[in-house]
Amino acid sequence: MKALGALSRALKNISRRKVRTFLVVVALGFSIAIMVSIPAGIMANQESMQRITENFANTITTMQKEINKTATLIECSTTPNRGMQTFRPGGFFGGFNQTFVDETIMDEIRSIEGVKDVIPFLEKSSSENISETINTPWGSRTVYRPAYTIMGVCLNATIIASYPILPTNITTGENLSEGDSGYILISSNLTSYFGVDVGDTVEIEGEPFIVKGVFESSSQPRTVYMNISDAQRVTGLTGKISRLYVYVSDASFATQVADVIKAMYPELYVTSYQDRLENLQRMQEMYTQTLSNAESSIAQAQATATQVIIVAVAAATLIVFFVMLYSVRERTREIGILKAIGFSNWNVMSQFMLEGMLIGLIGGVAGVLIGSIAAPFFSSFLLPQINLFGGAQRMQRPFQTQYPNIIGTQSYSVATLSPQLILAALCAAAVLGALGSLYPAWRASRISPIEALRYE
Amino acid sequence: MSELVLETEKLEKIYKLGSRRIRALSDINLKVKKGDFISIMGPSGSGKTTLLNILGCLDRPTSGKVILDNVDVTALSEKELYKIRRYKVGFVFQTFNLLPYLSALENVELPMEGTGKSKEEMRKRARELLRLVGLTERENHKPFRLSAGEQQRVAIARALANNPSIVLADEPTGNLDAKTKYEIVRLLGRLNTEQGTTIVMVTHDGAIASHACRVLFLSDGKLLAKEKMGLVAKEKLVCPACGREVQADHAFCPHCGKKL
Repeated sequence: MKALGALSRALKNISRRKVRTFLVVVALGFSIAIMVSIPAGIMANQESMQRITENFANTITTMQKEINKTATLIECSTTPNRGMQTFRPGGFFGGFNQTFVDETIMDEIRSIEGVKDVIPFLEKSSSENISETINTPWGSRTVYRPAYTIMGVCLNATIIASYPILPTNITTGENLSEGDSGYILISSNLTSYFGVDVGDTVEIEGEPFIVKGVFESSSQPRTVYMNISDAQRVTGLTGKISRLYVYVSDASFATQVADVIKAMYPELYVTSYQDRLENLQRMQEMYTQTLSNAESSIAQAQATATQVIIVAVAAATLIVFFVMLYSVRERTREIGILKAIGFSNWNVMSQFMLEGMLIGLIGGVAGVLIGSIAAPFFSSFLLPQINLFGGAQRMQRPFQTQYPNIIGTQSYSVATLSPQLILAALCAAAVLGALGSLYPAWRASRISPIEALRYE
Repeated sequence: MSELVLETEKLEKIYKLGSRRIRALSDINLKVKKGDFISIMGPSGSGKTTLLNILGCLDRPTSGKVILDNVDVTALSEKELYKIRRYKVGFVFQTFNLLPYLSALENVELPMEGTGKSKEEMRKRARELLRLVGLTERENHKPFRLSAGEQQRVAIARALANNPSIVLADEPTGNLDAKTKYEIVRLLGRLNTEQGTTIVMVTHDGAIASHACRVLFLSDGKLLAKEKMGLVAKEKLVCPACGREVQADHAFCPHCGKKL
């Protein structure tokens, strides 16, 4: 009963001074919002980190599987090979200086002992460009890059049947087949760029081609497959190639054959199964390092955040402290009345503590409301997040070009308030309300009733 | 004739103002019997309020004893005193001292909090008391919507909430206009005669003081001998105006307010 009366009086007193209560609640609300945003931000960071780590592990596993399938393949390219995808055409950095070699080297390579098949490719960026806006944590910028990549492949029935040189995931139409000339296979995201579908005609570098099929591949966005002879003609690179797939008859020869090719053609980037494994390992090490850097920056963030939380708690407690101290002063006479009619020191003290707690709690509710909207902002503002963000972003880049589906674009968790966090914030708000009003309430309880009644 | 409610023995209060010692009360020997209505008169600064504060356990004497309901309250600690203030004493102040944000009813309920009464009991008792002081219609009004006289009635009802042994009224009519003054003092008189409430009232207004059964004079912190006042008899008379029984020492009829 006592508590009920005290509670209703506390509420009445709080609502009596609406403007003051509002200001206090707003100030408290911001402190508490900051208090909850930081753990929310840390949790979001950890979540992101965990997801990135998982994706990374998956990526490595997938790549490992891919590499294992290619024990007999030696890749020879005029540009750094696919193992390190950083500078691919159509990749993050856009175009680069493309070089080509004469297709006559195929015969020379074919004559090396142990070589089973040599498959030529001509890969060239389109002369058409598109502009693209890239959003980074530091702002957005516009880059120009080739609209698509022309991929000329050798359409020989035996080769198509034996080696995975054409896309496998055909969504509409048909795949290219032996001797197809004047036909192309386009990646699904190019259908809207060209505005065409299967059976339609599209101009590639000034020549008309019929779209035979559409394929879906996240590792090869914006690619046009065609017969290598068509590709050489439209790009004006007759007799030129940009890459060779050299298959050896036995996996155990692969390293030696690769060494021979490397010696014969220093201008080619040659990678054997062994090289790819080593590359993967290097990549794994590099990313593990990046991850651990990111983790240590999270730890650092937590240390800083703890300090900010302490400041926020102190600020909130001080707000309650001063407001309650003022309130006690202002209501000295009321305290005298309460004492004169038989309220004990404890009754008076608990009355003021209850008020402090209520103010804290209302501030807590305001804080949760503010925090639920502003948590991402506060946490990005208060946490030294840039390290993690930048580090992770950098780490993601090479993957994104080749395996965007694995890392994904939505790797970052936004700071949100979990129910547990909200509950904890409300409890903390009430506790710091009580804490802040402890001394003012104690002072109120010590006021002598006759002094208080004389107070005007 | 009846039991003593309040007794003081050689009560003395000395204030220290720097090096000066100011004797506010000296050698106060007062006996209040159950059912008494005593007025203490005296000029400003005579120590009336100091005496009342000591009697009501708001202040402590420098020496001497206050015995309330056979308990020497001067020997009690601060922790025990609040109970005396809550259960044994009811205070009525010159400035009413109601809590401005509580309704009349809630103000009357206030002293009953923590006495173990249920909310319903508190409400019932508060309504009863408001009816007694004639404010049934006003129970939900906040003090600022009540007249001064009405506020003082609420304060009187509040003083009675825990059925105290004694009601101490400090200039209860000091802030009221002439007409309301008599209403309030008549109300106190009626409570005294009808409910048997023991009242000690401090005033500097002779007309108001004369409503009491006994009038004591305080001058420079000393009570003047009551023999000098000659107001000791407690015979019963009939009011010529309303025909109801009044005490012989009343100057005004507590029922109808006519001068006797």
